[in-house]
Amino acid sequence: MTATAGRPPADADPATLAAAEDERDTAAPRQVRGGWRALAVQPLLVTLGVGAYLLWRATAELSDTEARQLGATTLWAAIREHLALTLAAAVLVLLIAVPLGVGLTRRPLRRLSPLVLGVANTGQAAPAIGLFVLLATWLGFGFWTTVVALVLYAALPVLRNTMVGIEQVDPRLVEAGRGMGMSTLAVLFRVELPLAVPVMLAGVRTALVLLVGTATLATFINGGGLGVLINTGITLSLNSLLVSGAVLVALLALAVDWLGRVVEHVARPKGL
Amino acid sequence: MWDYVVDRRGQIAYQALQHVSLVVQCVLLGTVIAMAVAMAVYRSPRATALANGVSAVGLTIPAFALLGILLAPFGFGITPAVIAVTFYAALPVLRNAVVGLAGVDRSLVESARGMGMSRPATLLRVEIPLAWPVILAGVRTSTQMVMGIAAIAAYVLGPGLGGFIFTGLSRLGGANALNSALTGTIAVVLLALVLDLLLVLAGRLTTPRGIRV
Amino acid sequence: MSDSPTTSVGRRASGLPIRLEGVTKRYPGQDRPAVDAVSLEIPAGQTVMFVGPSGCGKTTLLKMLNRLIEPTGGKIFLGDEDVTSQDPDRLRRRIGYVIQAGGLFPHMTVAANVALVPRMLGWDKRRVADRTEELLDLVGLDPATYRDRYPRALSGGQQQRVGVARALAADPPVLLMDEPFGAVDPITRVRLQDELLRIQDELGKTIVCVTHDFDEAVKLGDRIVVFDVGARVVQYDTPEAILADPAEDYVADFVGAGATLKQLTLTRVEDVELRPVTTATVGADSAAVVAAARAAGDDFVVVLDGRGRPISWPTVAELSRTTTVPATVDQRLPVVGLRSTLNDALDTMLAASQGGVVVTGRRGGLSGVLTVESVMAAIQRTRAAVGG
Repeated sequence: MTATAGRPPADADPATLAAAEDERDTAAPRQVRGGWRALAVQPLLVTLGVGAYLLWRATAELSDTEARQLGATTLWAAIREHLALTLAAAVLVLLIAVPLGVGLTRRPLRRLSPLVLGVANTGQAAPAIGLFVLLATWLGFGFWTTVVALVLYAALPVLRNTMVGIEQVDPRLVEAGRGMGMSTLAVLFRVELPLAVPVMLAGVRTALVLLVGTATLATFINGGGLGVLINTGITLSLNSLLVSGAVLVALLALAVDWLGRVVEHVARPKGL
Repeated sequence: MWDYVVDRRGQIAYQALQHVSLVVQCVLLGTVIAMAVAMAVYRSPRATALANGVSAVGLTIPAFALLGILLAPFGFGITPAVIAVTFYAALPVLRNAVVGLAGVDRSLVESARGMGMSRPATLLRVEIPLAWPVILAGVRTSTQMVMGIAAIAAYVLGPGLGGFIFTGLSRLGGANALNSALTGTIAVVLLALVLDLLLVLAGRLTTPRGIRV
Repeated sequence: MSDSPTTSVGRRASGLPIRLEGVTKRYPGQDRPAVDAVSLEIPAGQTVMFVGPSGCGKTTLLKMLNRLIEPTGGKIFLGDEDVTSQDPDRLRRRIGYVIQAGGLFPHMTVAANVALVPRMLGWDKRRVADRTEELLDLVGLDPATYRDRYPRALSGGQQQRVGVARALAADPPVLLMDEPFGAVDPITRVRLQDELLRIQDELGKTIVCVTHDFDEAVKLGDRIVVFDVGARVVQYDTPEAILADPAEDYVADFVGAGATLKQLTLTRVEDVELRPVTTATVGADSAAVVAAARAAGDDFVVVLDGRGRPISWPTVAELSRTTTVPATVDQRLPVVGLRSTLNDALDTMLAASQGGVVVTGRRGGLSGVLTVESVMAAIQRTRAAVGG
């Protein structure tokens, strides 16, 4: 019976004493620092890319046509157009896919979810360019046709991740919520959706990147955006235009992806 | 529509074959490259992080943009198409292979080493078979994605079904424009599904019996 | 010995009785009902344990009490009120519900988890905050330390404590527990069981608890219901009666062999004679303490902190090397409560490789020391009683 020299408890309240005894594991080390550091690489890459491009633009010798196409106002307009396409489609995707995804996890519609996912997955195998052209034959050329095509193309990741996010919530937590008298709606908004947020946001980010990339095809149906530069560059054999468009789209996609990651990082519920 | 397809069945079959052959060859090449990279990096956390970063960043680059960039040095033709398609085919496989290899239970590797298996033998007979389902899932993702990208590659005069879509686009409003675009799109979807089915089948046959689900 | 005070003489009951009348659950496509016309009376303020093989319908029956599963027939009364047709959400806010591993919401802090039901009931902020503090205190968690933590920063045992606090938040008359301690390690489980007994002594709720562990049922239950398939009630009685006289061979099998040893889980530490021991307070003169211990014939001394709680038990030889009694806390000091079973006490001794345990009573104050010899003597007596 030896008295081992132990460290005296900081707070000798009986309550703490009892609880400290069954404290086997302490708080997991926070990974926030590492997380933020990983997030710092991407904007650095984008900034470097933009810097390099501006440097090239300032020093390159360009023909009149090239200079006009690559003037600040024209470029800026193309970028804004590209972002407008992406944003309009993203908003519509969120408005359609999230409620649909939630609905398909509710009891009355749950039986339909394999069917819907099957159709959506098959649809995803369709080439984006085919979708654009087919919609154009039906709705004509232009901005909104492009948006419709983009929505169709980018809805799946959000839909699927909403459903997966909600379905991966531990059913015992749902039961615990119901068991303490929360209504189904309360359980959805206070338990299921908050816990599904990380997965849902990952889907939204995937969709955004997909949108930025696919919006380059808008040029084929007069939807505008940075694809115009690439297309003009290809048709007129102007490499400066072609490379400008391609580099800017890639940088835009990286920037949007980074923004998505930041949002994921910030909006992730604490405690997960 | 039906008449259109019947009239051009020879051309459709030829382009479909071209399309599939481009995709299959590029996926094979991409898988080999991705596996080599994954095997080189998966045991170093830093290199793994780098590889994951490359595949994540690579996948954000729009296909049309990459094709455009490749046109500058290589010009029109099959080379930029092959490079772009292989690039996109490799990335999902790389991501999954790294995850799959890193996910193999360390104690299994240790017991393999403990019974005297060499490093390459352990990789070949323990780690890759155990990671195989994850790697194969990456190959399936690749194939499906690349089927669509190959369609865009037709624009830079690569071979394949994208030609029908772009023909439809250029004749928009004219006769057969819709038929042409529909043919291209539907054929790509069907071929993608067939390839996916074959990959599932290949998965059944190549996945060790003990870890099949 | 068999007359354990667990059978609740004089416990203040704040709970409501529960009455089941022919409660039935039939699932479509199954010819036998999962729960077949069960009638049962659960007295107010008692702890009733549901035991039985897995798939016997005990959990289904429990979940019908708060209508997580809707009965297909029969009636359930809470007090005099038929709750079978009440709005289930409102009903559940009046019934505490504890599940395995606590079922805490990982995205909410400990305090937010505990406050959920009071907030749904529209309590004002002040009252909710006060209640949260009170409950964390009750389950042995310091509110200042744990209030703002997230569940993942808690051990399994602590999560389970918060789960109990959350279930008690709105002071429900009834508490339902579904294998509450199934996911924690054995030592933590014993501690949580002791804690539940203490809380129940204080509150007198009506508790219905499903377990697959018969020892746990004997330890926690005022009464035990043994179920067979279809939730057929095979025996409903006090633990003592079931152990002494199993109603059917089935129960005898389920209770298991070695009924004598089971008596160990029936006998509480407080039923056995404890050995008095020399005590010393921190900072006292060592020489005087050593002299007192030698006079009493003790070869060790229990050191108490300022509030009379044991913190270590140095030997006389160790103590004589110091000038004043040290304040060091022995983290491995084996401690059991008065309400612990002899089984727990033996386990604790074995785990600490010691020949005895320190016994504490109310507020953690010292009650005495229990030695392995007195446990053995108690077993001998029980064996003699059962055999004769």
